[in-house]
Amino acid sequence: MSRMVVSELRVDRVHLPVVREVSLSVESGQISVLLGANGAGKTTLLEGLSGVIPVAGGKIEVDGHEIQRQRPGARVGAGLAHVEQGRTVFRQLTTNENLRAGAASASDVKKAYELFPELLPRRDVLAGLLSGGEQQMLVIARALAGRPKILLIDEMSAGLAPTIVRRLMTTVRKLADQGLAVVLVEQFAVLALAVGNRAYVLRRGKIVYDGACAELRDAPDKLHQLYLGSGS
Amino acid sequence: MNGLLTSAVAGLTAGGAYGLLGVCAVFTYRLVAVVNFTSAAIGTAGTFVLVVLNEAGIPLFPAVLCGLVAGVIAGVAIGLVMTKWFAESNASTKAAVTVALLVGIVAIGLRLTGGQHPHHFPDLFSGSAMRLAGVELTISSLLTIGLGVAFTILADVLLSRTRMGLHLRALSERPMAAELIGVPVQFLSILVWGITGAVTAFSLMIIAPQRSPDFMSLSLLVVPALAAALIGLFRSFWMTLIGGILIGVVEGMTSVIGGLNQYRGAVPFLIILAVMLWLQRGARWDEAR
Repeated sequence: MSRMVVSELRVDRVHLPVVREVSLSVESGQISVLLGANGAGKTTLLEGLSGVIPVAGGKIEVDGHEIQRQRPGARVGAGLAHVEQGRTVFRQLTTNENLRAGAASASDVKKAYELFPELLPRRDVLAGLLSGGEQQMLVIARALAGRPKILLIDEMSAGLAPTIVRRLMTTVRKLADQGLAVVLVEQFAVLALAVGNRAYVLRRGKIVYDGACAELRDAPDKLHQLYLGSGS
Repeated sequence: MNGLLTSAVAGLTAGGAYGLLGVCAVFTYRLVAVVNFTSAAIGTAGTFVLVVLNEAGIPLFPAVLCGLVAGVIAGVAIGLVMTKWFAESNASTKAAVTVALLVGIVAIGLRLTGGQHPHHFPDLFSGSAMRLAGVELTISSLLTIGLGVAFTILADVLLSRTRMGLHLRALSERPMAAELIGVPVQFLSILVWGITGAVTAFSLMIIAPQRSPDFMSLSLLVVPALAAALIGLFRSFWMTLIGGILIGVVEGMTSVIGGLNQYRGAVPFLIILAVMLWLQRGARWDEAR
């Protein structure tokens, strides 16, 4: 059972606060969905959690250990994996080499192919030549090959066909059911709320909603209002 | 004709060193994504440590070791600058930073080593190794070429057969994505800088006695090294090594051709120009298609 608790987190970009006093928690078996309009601070928040950007204040605890001052590599050791937006495959490496680069052992590579059998016939193809859907599967599989406890996924569905997005969403749900803690940043709110447990809505870097996904799923007007603010 | 052959063979020592420096340039480019203009300056720093210690009465072998350590330290120092502050910058920014660092290193080097003040550069491997078709092959030329071949094989094996090589290839493409899957990015980057620092220092120690003995001239040996790397398109270690040797041989041959010998220093520039034009030709064809 793993748990990440984030308290009063602040992340700046170019000395400007983009994420402010954010507190959230995520635990094994749960998908926490981060929603918000463009520029709300979702990606910056994930980058602060994984260490891509140093945090300006607050605390990040994984299973009781503070990690906010650690480098990204050390946070991986603490059990965090971050699937960045933009399908960051190693383009000059084959599918199999991408998986091996992230895997702790050969059995982890095998598990990755079991999770995404679509990748098996493409194992010797350069990752840069894979389709968008295959690349997204590869970066998720590569992150999982390191046996993380907490998986952060940023904009998984961007630029992908709806059938692929549904396939990926189902897989993410399956992973959470197997015990992984997932933080999912997603533009397609309806799809994310359908698989998520807990939802957070960010507006201008602050959390303006923290509650069950089901509540927002059944109240699209409320979600719209949360995105745009009470004045709209 | 025999004079031309002798000069061509004489160019093998320089060619081997160019090839080795070029392979180091490709190594650095492929693994930490930096076109490193400081490589020869790093080697020069190591060489001058050897020279100064040797002049102070330290025996040759320990002085060489100290020079190599100085090369490693200089390489690691440059590597720390590049990985700490410019890891996520694009290739042109990184190259520009190394040019700026080169200017700084040369300025400091000239100040510390006395500019044109003559130093005695010990010949580490003097003498003839063998005669080939009536021409003497020196130990230096065979050694530099041998080292170049050994380093090329090692680099190829490291990159294609080992887990560390796989991590280095991942790191060269996307340093942050590599770190996010647990690749020890900083350690590997610094290791690459340290290895190339030692190898370039050793290359410079071998070639320095044949060159103008000042810090700037030796630091500018980066030009033929990058010309060799360009022949290998900053990708192929073998083509780079062969390219470096060819540059040395052509340089050697031009030294005995009347009217051309005064332009022998321009050979690398001509080769860079020729390779760039050749590449442009391909690009134009693609565009027309």
